[in-house]
Amino acid sequence: MKLLLIEDDIRTAEFVLRGFREHGHVIEHATNGRDGLLLAVEEKYDVIIIDRMLPMMDGLAILKSLRNVKNETPVLLLTAMGGIGDRVEGLDAGADDYLVKPYAFSELNARVNALARRPPLSNEITFLRFADLEMNLLKRTVTRSGVMLDLQPREFQLLEYLLRHADQIVTRTMLLEGVWDFHFDPKTNIVETHISRLRAKLNTGSDVDLIQTFRGSGYALRVPL
Amino acid sequence: MYPSRLFKTASFKLAAACALIFGMSSAAVTGLVFLNIKAALDKQERTRIQAEAFPLREEFSLGGLQGLLVAIRERQRGHLAGGLDYSIVRSDGERIFGDLPKMPLSEGWKSVSGPPDGDEPEGKLERLNVYREKLSPDLWLLVGDDKGRVAESASLVLQESVLGFLFSLMLAVGGGIAVSHVFLNRIDSITRTAEAIIDGDLARRMPLRGVGDDIDRLSSTLNRMLDRIAGLMDALRHVTINIAHDLRTPLGRLRQYLEETRRRSVNIKGYEDAVDHAIVEADEMLETFSAMLRIAEIESGKRVSGFGSLDLGELVSSVMETFKPVAEESAHCLEVVVAGRCLINGDAELIVQLVVNLIENAMRHTPAGTNIAINVHAADGTVILQIADDGPGVLECEREKIFRRFYRGELSRTTPGNGLGLSLVAAIASLHGVPITVADNHPGLLMRFEFPAFGNTANAGRDGGQRRGS
Repeated sequence: MKLLLIEDDIRTAEFVLRGFREHGHVIEHATNGRDGLLLAVEEKYDVIIIDRMLPMMDGLAILKSLRNVKNETPVLLLTAMGGIGDRVEGLDAGADDYLVKPYAFSELNARVNALARRPPLSNEITFLRFADLEMNLLKRTVTRSGVMLDLQPREFQLLEYLLRHADQIVTRTMLLEGVWDFHFDPKTNIVETHISRLRAKLNTGSDVDLIQTFRGSGYALRVPL
Repeated sequence: MYPSRLFKTASFKLAAACALIFGMSSAAVTGLVFLNIKAALDKQERTRIQAEAFPLREEFSLGGLQGLLVAIRERQRGHLAGGLDYSIVRSDGERIFGDLPKMPLSEGWKSVSGPPDGDEPEGKLERLNVYREKLSPDLWLLVGDDKGRVAESASLVLQESVLGFLFSLMLAVGGGIAVSHVFLNRIDSITRTAEAIIDGDLARRMPLRGVGDDIDRLSSTLNRMLDRIAGLMDALRHVTINIAHDLRTPLGRLRQYLEETRRRSVNIKGYEDAVDHAIVEADEMLETFSAMLRIAEIESGKRVSGFGSLDLGELVSSVMETFKPVAEESAHCLEVVVAGRCLINGDAELIVQLVVNLIENAMRHTPAGTNIAINVHAADGTVILQIADDGPGVLECEREKIFRRFYRGELSRTTPGNGLGLSLVAAIASLHGVPITVADNHPGLLMRFEFPAFGNTANAGRDGGQRRGS
């Protein structure tokens, strides 16, 4: 992947740069809004990571300028402000995702991956397939190796999210936001409980566990090696 | 300095305005009285002149011209007429007797000017009021009097009135100054107290005279405000201490742990585990900060813009569906009863968090096997959300405190948590104008939230949120 990071705080930037380079990605860095916007317009990136508070030109202004010139590169906004109003404002300005500081690198990595590999026209898909798993979004049915599975609505949503991000790590917070629309951190293990129930249902009659757990990072729908 | 301030005081200006209005009205009254008195005196004068003229006419008809002249002279001599002027003239204007000036002859009254007789101001002619009486076809009797007499009496009245008016004006101005002076003194003492408080003497309060007037009322309101501020500052100090304490504990733990790892770990695995552990501890602290920031954000009231109509019953059911499996795992029995449509005006995201926090709070502070019942129903312009459990409950003396930041109940000191979950609930409830009732569920805890129904904003607003223990 080729990424652009627009972030004025050097320590945060180095943390992010090192992280992505270790994962084998190319990442460029701008320390102020103006340079960042120039780079974003000139080069082609898979994902642009923008800090909201920047010298010269703030993150939202960069985002709006980009969208004004029909640059549709996925953008992830970083912010020190946790307010819900800020999140809505960022998404309205055209951000594709939003992450509040401080964050774990694994969280940022998972979200950037999800943005980079987001399939186009995802809303028009009526079938999702992965390995021997098949989901019919119109009939709201799921089969594994042709056997119909009986899922609760929430389990269906959870599996749909995993299928749409198949082969990628999705974090607990991504699931909370994407499946439950919870924009805060519950104290109980909602995600773990629902994943384990879903896993049990998926695995009835099969000895291949399709849901892999990555400790400290999240989950992925993946065929075990 | 002081006098100019005195004239600037509101009470002096008020007194001056009163004096002005009073002055104008008394001037108008004086003028009217003066005119009335003048008219009355005029009338009296005319009556007197006529009362002179009629007997003289009698004298003429009895004694002819001679008799009349004798009568007039007698009157002039004996001052019976009180200084009246008499003239007898022929119809052709020839004067037979007296010195009244020439004038047209017809029955009735006439005002004329004559030569001065000494009692007029310098250079002025004497003004006379003359009554003309026809004695015979050829003879006229004229009786007149100096108008100055009436004017003199009237101006005397006017003088007295003006004096009285000036005196009361002085009283009004003097009174205004005196009242302002008293007022200014009291305002000054309030100002001095405020300055002392600004300078750091926070225990100072506004002086009260105990008379219950408006300044006393203002002062006691200010005092209550100061008490409230002092209370808030105290709470803030309390919270600061709690934050310091709450964060120092895990930081201390983290430090101990790292030190121990440094001393003991001999392999990479040991260090990795230690780092993972340290990250978990750090995350917990960060979460405490996030929760505090979130409470502060909600309490600032900025979120009201995200309000809209939402069905609380639907929202609770959806949250419950998520939590049922979680509750089963911890062997809690979660039950929800929703009666009909329960529309409220609120921020869906915050209300979800409120419900989640309540459920998690109930699950964390009750042992396995506890029943947790949630009930949502509309009642009489409100929507009631009630959560009840049959767990150990909360001591009565603690019920008010469970919403405080960092508060950990006696019975739950050892359960994990940062003591902010219910503070967040209270902040969200307050933002939505929702009073909370905490009661005993015999056994267990019962919490009741009274949302104003959508469209019924009677008790909505930030101040509506209050807690009640019962």
